[in-house]
Amino acid sequence: MRLTRREFIRASAASAAWMLGGSALAAAQAKRKAGPVKNAFVPRKARPSTPAKGEWVASTCQGCTQWCAIQMFVQGGRITRVRGNEFSKSNHGYCCPRGHLIPQMTYDPDRIKVPMKRTNAAKGRGIDPKFVPISWDEAITIVADKMIQLRTAGEPEKLLYLRGRYGPITQDLLYGTLPKIFGTGNYFSHSAICAEAEKMGPRFTQGYAGYRDYDLEKTNCLVLWGTDPLASNRQVPNTIHRFHEIVARGAVITVDPRLSNAAAKSHEWLPVKPGTDGALAGAIAHVILAEGLWNREFVGDFKDGKNLFVAGSTVAEDAFVEKETSGLVKWWNLELKDRTPAFGEKESGIPADQIVRVARTMAKHGPTTAVWMGPGAAMWPRGTYAAMAVYALNGLLGSIDVVVWEGASGPKLNKFPSKDSFIDELAKKGSKNHVTSNRGHKDMPGLQTSSVNNVPNEILKNPGAVKVLLSTFSNFNHSGTGADRWNQALSKIPFFAHMVTNPSEMTQFADIVLPSTHNSSEGWNIVTNMSNGYAYASIQQNPIKRVFEGKQEETEVMWLLAQKLKAKGFPNLADYYDTIKDPETGKSASNELEFAELVVRFISAPIWDGKEVQKGDAPIKGWAEFKARGMFSGARYPLKKGWGGKFKTETKKFEFYSATLKKALDGHAKKHETTVDDILAVSGYTAKGDLAFVPHYEVPKRHGSMEEFPFTFIDYKSRLNREGRSQNLPWYQEFKKVDPGDVSWGDVVKMNPADGAKLGLKTGDKVTITSQAGSITTELKLWEGVRPGTVAKCYGQGHWAYGRVASRDYAKAVALGANNNEILVDDYDRLSGATARNGGFTGVRITKA
Amino acid sequence: MKLGMVIDLGRCVGCGACAFACKAENNTRNRADGQSYNWADFLIHSEGTFPNTRHMVMPVLCNHCDEPPCITICPGNPEKAGKGKPYRALFKTPEGITLHNPELCVGCGDCQRARGCPYSHEKLGPSSLNGETYSVISLNPAEDEAQPFWVDKASAIPGGTSSGAEVSAKVGTRIPAMNAWQGGELQPIRSDDVIEKCTFCYHRVTNGLQPACVEVCPSQARIFGDQQDPNSKISQILKKEKTFRLKEEKGTKPNVYYVGKYSPRA
Repeated sequence: MRLTRREFIRASAASAAWMLGGSALAAAQAKRKAGPVKNAFVPRKARPSTPAKGEWVASTCQGCTQWCAIQMFVQGGRITRVRGNEFSKSNHGYCCPRGHLIPQMTYDPDRIKVPMKRTNAAKGRGIDPKFVPISWDEAITIVADKMIQLRTAGEPEKLLYLRGRYGPITQDLLYGTLPKIFGTGNYFSHSAICAEAEKMGPRFTQGYAGYRDYDLEKTNCLVLWGTDPLASNRQVPNTIHRFHEIVARGAVITVDPRLSNAAAKSHEWLPVKPGTDGALAGAIAHVILAEGLWNREFVGDFKDGKNLFVAGSTVAEDAFVEKETSGLVKWWNLELKDRTPAFGEKESGIPADQIVRVARTMAKHGPTTAVWMGPGAAMWPRGTYAAMAVYALNGLLGSIDVVVWEGASGPKLNKFPSKDSFIDELAKKGSKNHVTSNRGHKDMPGLQTSSVNNVPNEILKNPGAVKVLLSTFSNFNHSGTGADRWNQALSKIPFFAHMVTNPSEMTQFADIVLPSTHNSSEGWNIVTNMSNGYAYASIQQNPIKRVFEGKQEETEVMWLLAQKLKAKGFPNLADYYDTIKDPETGKSASNELEFAELVVRFISAPIWDGKEVQKGDAPIKGWAEFKARGMFSGARYPLKKGWGGKFKTETKKFEFYSATLKKALDGHAKKHETTVDDILAVSGYTAKGDLAFVPHYEVPKRHGSMEEFPFTFIDYKSRLNREGRSQNLPWYQEFKKVDPGDVSWGDVVKMNPADGAKLGLKTGDKVTITSQAGSITTELKLWEGVRPGTVAKCYGQGHWAYGRVASRDYAKAVALGANNNEILVDDYDRLSGATARNGGFTGVRITKA
Repeated sequence: MKLGMVIDLGRCVGCGACAFACKAENNTRNRADGQSYNWADFLIHSEGTFPNTRHMVMPVLCNHCDEPPCITICPGNPEKAGKGKPYRALFKTPEGITLHNPELCVGCGDCQRARGCPYSHEKLGPSSLNGETYSVISLNPAEDEAQPFWVDKASAIPGGTSSGAEVSAKVGTRIPAMNAWQGGELQPIRSDDVIEKCTFCYHRVTNGLQPACVEVCPSQARIFGDQQDPNSKISQILKKEKTFRLKEEKGTKPNVYYVGKYSPRA
């Protein structure tokens, strides 16, 4: 059916007149009073029918960063359905749509079923690797031989390891161990392409460098800034659960350059011009200070109680006495005094009156206002300062450790034994080699992370630097900006073994392919995370029959590889793994499957071995009960934890003037025998002097002139993306429309209709999007959810490999849709080291294809 | 008893979990030839001019109408039913559910057409891909494989990656994640030459469970129950809240109601 305009009005903006006076309503009520069903249809009893029989088994979803505790319905060794773990204090027993895709991913027909070997030496996009199946033993032997050759040649550092999705504890068996014992400093996590820049906000104000938690139950004003947590970022099920309550009792404000799910359901939508968030945040802070609306309990007050914050005027620092904060007046004098609403409007495109209204609303709710900042406000060149500016609003409002939390710390778990005695001299030497990393270079402070997306640049500069590449659960050729650089670099690496579930883009460059388990349903693990005031440890326990020969990368494959290396004369890794003993039998593993389960028992033992009563959930008596329950939550996050001078900053206060960032930048400048001003200049920032240490607005950096590339490109995430891995599912494609503005079984770029009219483009046209990095072709949709001058497109589609659904033609390497990363320029927020993907840093032009 | 559902648009965030849960519960196949096979689906709509743009989502499903034209129009199979026996494939149960008996269905598709179901289409076009249209009823064409994805023998990498046919064979069920509930007339997987539609999860709700779409909703936007039980949550809401139904003017008297507003911005 097609809904009439009238029905949409009822549903979207339901006018009181209709509600009260509608004849339909009267008819409905009359019907209800009528009692039993009276119609022309004689009811017929249906024959009995019964629900499926099976059992709910605990597991953990790893489809986003939250890692929800879930349960899977298992029928005869098959996974059929998914729900949240009923014991979860974070998701209330519900999962978001991602969780429901786990059975589909488990049984994806394009799963790699056996190890494979490349038989075509030529490597490149669209070149068939001509993979042939081989046995696990042959595959592991080949990998071990290549590794032994490096050790024999005295160059173990020519092993590069790239980590994709991982287990937060078991990663220590691979990421944390293999490079150290084998002897290479060349190893990277995917984290730098994810969201690391947002962590710079809390890190350099509050001394906390992680994802934050939020008390949505107590939040009366929710400000979602550069994030759409109804779809992604953190605690999606909890946000879905609580969102309507906050809408009903308070205010919800969304800052996002495109009409997101949250924006659609917010009282206020602020479609900020990409990259100008620092100006908008500064203007809001300006209003809060100029109108005297800050939180006195957290921030303090003027000595004589009279507000001296007047636009354009500096204030004497000793006029204000701060409580839990440090540097408020410096921040005002250096930055905020000129960040008037008019300035905010000029830069951000948000009307000054809306800025004032929103600032007052936020201040009205004071410390029950949560400013939830996400990667969209930070993952861009110069993004560190926007992250700080947005996050600092929580300081002004006194929300820190009231409704905006660092997050609880988790239950006690066992740590793996020390590996020190297994690291030989060659390994120590090799570990000092970081030839593929530019972290710490003068123009790449990388205070938060190593730039994994820069690795191909280093490989292309030093083609001999990497001889063997190992990578797990990764697909950088799809997920890294400037994606084609990965194609070029990986073509140059002599040997690459990929551990992965599907033949992805990156896999096309592999010499050996090792099929991975889909770990929520097929793996063993303990996964830790926190949200809604609780940290937890949650199990994965492979309750189903594995369909194919996939093995878990961090435990099973590593155990097999260690044994093979031992057989070939390098026993250190295997001997180290043997020091990990079962907590009850005291034995080490005798095969890879035993190792996987033993590791989980070892890690989780403090939860169930009865030796120590942990704070949090009721004690768990034994392994069987832990497996059945599947999770343990620790104690609730204590309020005002950092208050009273306990923040982990240089001043122990919440810093509006960041002595902590000053120390870090001074250190980096000293290392390079230069000034902070010089460091910032070569790293691409505009600030000079003390401005470098306060949250401030940096003019957005843009690749491509307005003349040549008139549109600013907006990248965002699908609520159905299980990172880059769910696009091969028909269900993903069928319901892609649940991303606002998007179209099922397609991949549209959204343009404002006014721009479409100017360019003579219409919905359905095939268009080419061109940037300085490259061009992609996809379908156009004219949509009022984007600002004129910008275009928005979701990340996820555009797989030229992966399988029959994600690719239009796998054999011919033809994608369904187009990959944003082929046009996004390879650039960084160099202070954090994070990859740029937001903030309008890529200019594009749109032409009819 | 008169089962019904209220969907609270204020709670709904349009996430899609209900639609996935429905597909998992009822083993519905993938879209083909204008048939969505989505027993749970969405109407999606954006309106207004930037920056005063509004966007809304309405979860939709079979309305289990009191006056269902799909039943009136259903020719059924009188011959197969036997003389004097109920012969229509679509029928109302005493619980108020509009149910389908595939044994009596002749696959004519009359129920999908305008006079059959005002909420369905004989064939969905591209407008269904962005949430402008949907169908309550889908048809499994005659002599068509009902689960083509899982009989496909093609492998992307021969010998290296799998195929639909291989996965289902290895797992041992017709579709690997098959939710193997037991049916009477209803079957967990439909055959060719019959229509299919939402059953309000008959196999669940007659056994004390909620429909799958209701159970999984992270915001608990769907309220399901007996409208004639004055103590049920649904009857309380219908008594107190202002609700509306789709296409009232068609006189079908749906038992799926909507309450609240998707967007707080008028």
